[in-house]
Amino acid sequence: MKTRILFVDDEPGILDGLRRLLRSYRNEWEMSFASSGQEALAIVAEQSIDAVVTDMRMPGMDGSQLLNELARCHPEIVRFVLSGYSDDEMIIKSVGTAHQYLSKPCDSDLLKAALSRALSLRKLLHEERLLALVSGVSSLPSLPEVYLEILETLRSDGASLRKVGETISRDPAITAKVLQLVNSAFFGLGRKISNPADAASLLGLDVLKTLALSAGVFSQFDQNKISTSDFSLAQVFDHCIAVGLLGKRIAASEEAESNLVSECLLAGTLHDLGKLIIVNEYPEEYARMRLMAKGEGMSEYLAEKEILGATHAEVAAYLLGLWGFTDSVVEAVAYHHQPGLSSYAEFTPLTAVHVANALEGAAQANERTAPCAGLDMSYLEASGLADRLESWGRLRESARDSRK
Amino acid sequence: MDELELLENRLQRERLARKQAEALLEEKSETLYLLNQDLVKLAADLAEREEASRSILEATGDGIITLDESGRIDSFNRAAKGIFGYSQEQVVGQNIDKLFPMGITGEAFKNIPHMQDMERSGELHEATGRRADGSEFFMEISLSQGQLLQRRMIIVSVRDITQRKKAEEERKYMEIQLRQAQKLESIGQLAAGIAHEINTPIQFVGDNTRFLLDAFADIERLLSIYDQVLEAVRANEITEGLVTSVNSIANEIDLDYLRSEIPQAISQTLDGTDRVARIVRAMKEFSHPGDEAKSLIDINKAIQSTITVSRNEWKYDAELETDLDLTLPTVPCLASEFNQVILNIIVNAVHAIRDGKSDDSTAKGAILITTKQEGDWAKISIRDSGSGIPEAIRSKIFDPFFTTKGVGKGTGQGLAIAYSAIVDKHAGTIDVQSEVGVGTTFTIKLPMQG
Repeated sequence: MKTRILFVDDEPGILDGLRRLLRSYRNEWEMSFASSGQEALAIVAEQSIDAVVTDMRMPGMDGSQLLNELARCHPEIVRFVLSGYSDDEMIIKSVGTAHQYLSKPCDSDLLKAALSRALSLRKLLHEERLLALVSGVSSLPSLPEVYLEILETLRSDGASLRKVGETISRDPAITAKVLQLVNSAFFGLGRKISNPADAASLLGLDVLKTLALSAGVFSQFDQNKISTSDFSLAQVFDHCIAVGLLGKRIAASEEAESNLVSECLLAGTLHDLGKLIIVNEYPEEYARMRLMAKGEGMSEYLAEKEILGATHAEVAAYLLGLWGFTDSVVEAVAYHHQPGLSSYAEFTPLTAVHVANALEGAAQANERTAPCAGLDMSYLEASGLADRLESWGRLRESARDSRK
Repeated sequence: MDELELLENRLQRERLARKQAEALLEEKSETLYLLNQDLVKLAADLAEREEASRSILEATGDGIITLDESGRIDSFNRAAKGIFGYSQEQVVGQNIDKLFPMGITGEAFKNIPHMQDMERSGELHEATGRRADGSEFFMEISLSQGQLLQRRMIIVSVRDITQRKKAEEERKYMEIQLRQAQKLESIGQLAAGIAHEINTPIQFVGDNTRFLLDAFADIERLLSIYDQVLEAVRANEITEGLVTSVNSIANEIDLDYLRSEIPQAISQTLDGTDRVARIVRAMKEFSHPGDEAKSLIDINKAIQSTITVSRNEWKYDAELETDLDLTLPTVPCLASEFNQVILNIIVNAVHAIRDGKSDDSTAKGAILITTKQEGDWAKISIRDSGSGIPEAIRSKIFDPFFTTKGVGKGTGQGLAIAYSAIVDKHAGTIDVQSEVGVGTTFTIKLPMQG
């Protein structure tokens, strides 16, 4: 079946141009065009649409109102902005609901690539309800302590961007949101930013302040929502950060380029975000999944697959992909339990995250499971990296020692 | 007896006369005493009064210098010493010219009335003074004359106004800064809007051109098969197969679609580049940097440019129509000031339309700009269908800093600047009629003869 994309712009010239530009995709895409938000909603109500690309400023209903409405009524639709506006206010208005922002004039290849990529991610999640759930997510729950600390830092006189960046990096959920924003095309960066400190200094205090105080951009985790005492957000975050740091060390020890090293750190930091989404949205299934994993001695991600139809890794990867994170980060998150599914054989962030996750997991579980039970040895052998495992294990030991 | 009696009488008379003389003497000496007393008192009074005058003279903040008829300094009070930095001894007897770089009779005093002209004595004039250390300063000076023992005396009163001048200049500078800030604010706002206005056509010009590139690649395939057909026709070897492949390629590339779409893509592309060119031209016309003297301006064209550069400010909220009198002669005008006024009023109109609109309404408001000639005046009116200006604040709208917009939404300078530009700089008029809930009309009149 063809992918259905709806373009919304009040300028007929833009719609005509897009229609012609994307004509070469006519065999894969079925394109509709609407000249206003109202018209777009009418089309969405009648036909099933996979992705919407909308202008921001339009008479009557503007882009952010349209996106809000779509996120509410049709959360499964991929939501892109294509706007000639570059003011912060506009970005912040849509930061909760737009998956990605492209700015006019937008290179046609970039537009095609961004759309194809977001749509191809859907194969990660097969279940309709999960697609809707994940693309409906506008923010991820954060630790209240960290959120409050960020607010406090932002409010203090002489707030330093470095301090804010450091605080953000302690919270994977806020890290993901801030990087999504800073990498949006509105900020006109030619490169992808992968660490919160750079992101903070690029956004500046004013934008960060507005972001932190805007409803729906960051949210705080409510422990009461989940009945099982098994889940601790702080523990998940600690694990994420440990995997990020270890992944970074592993990459550095492989003498990877600095770009790759920081992607390893980022992918590690974000790799378990899917757990947050599942716990937050399906607390009962999450509890059931934990029971099943314990009872039948199966790994949690397989139990997730059984009960939800997708793993936390796939859920997070889909969200990060929608938010425009790089392929290597998305892949590292998606396959961190099953690296064999990847088609790459060389050292990638996936390698680093997979290994770091297994090493950290084994260390946490202590002697209960065999060391490195989670490791996919055949993947490592195929990559020719199996012999590096021992020295990577030592990196973890020394990291733990230095933390003590 | 007679003699005795006579003697007696004489004695009597003499005694009486002496008594009278004594009484007279007493009376006279008393008068004298009283007179003397008065005199003493008068002298004391005079001394006191002189003392008072002197202390007033010394205590006054104004410098007071007295001159004789030839312009030589007779006296120099304390304030004068403070102002000029000379002591009394240094200047008394010297010519007054010493205190003025250009001399009292020189250039700076040209406007000061002749000293004989008592009518105008005491009038204030600005002049430049020179201190003992050679530095010069602004002062205010007034001259008057008096009579002293048959001699004419000239009284020069001076006041150092350096501080006041400085404050005045600072205020002027502040005003310029503020005006600049308002201009920058509106230019900043415009810039974002203009970027959008330009980005839109650039986007579709790019898309169309990319399409044309792809389309030409398709057509190229058809052209090469046509070449083959041509050769075959020449060689008289045309085959059914060749014709079929012409048809199949034409089908593959969807020739009918390309044929109808390509001309449209080209015309929209041209339209897009025209739009960019028009915006760029209007920007240039709008900004008119640094014209300090009036020149003859086509008011209609200036209005059109302003409408074009501000299009993004109004197009989402209002339909903007014009009814311009194309026979309107050119008007002596400071173009950038005039454009700024039109812009400020358009922006206010849009804000008023937004204010007057209920949240769920998607209907646009209306702005109508008309020009026409009325006698010796060019009349421009800008009407909006906005919320209107309440009676209570109507008289304040041209006051500097008066604003009904929230903090950060404007400096409150827009209409104040409009007023000063139209009234002060063009000797024109600006008026407002408004009805709450119905709309507002600003009417500007500019004299056709500068």
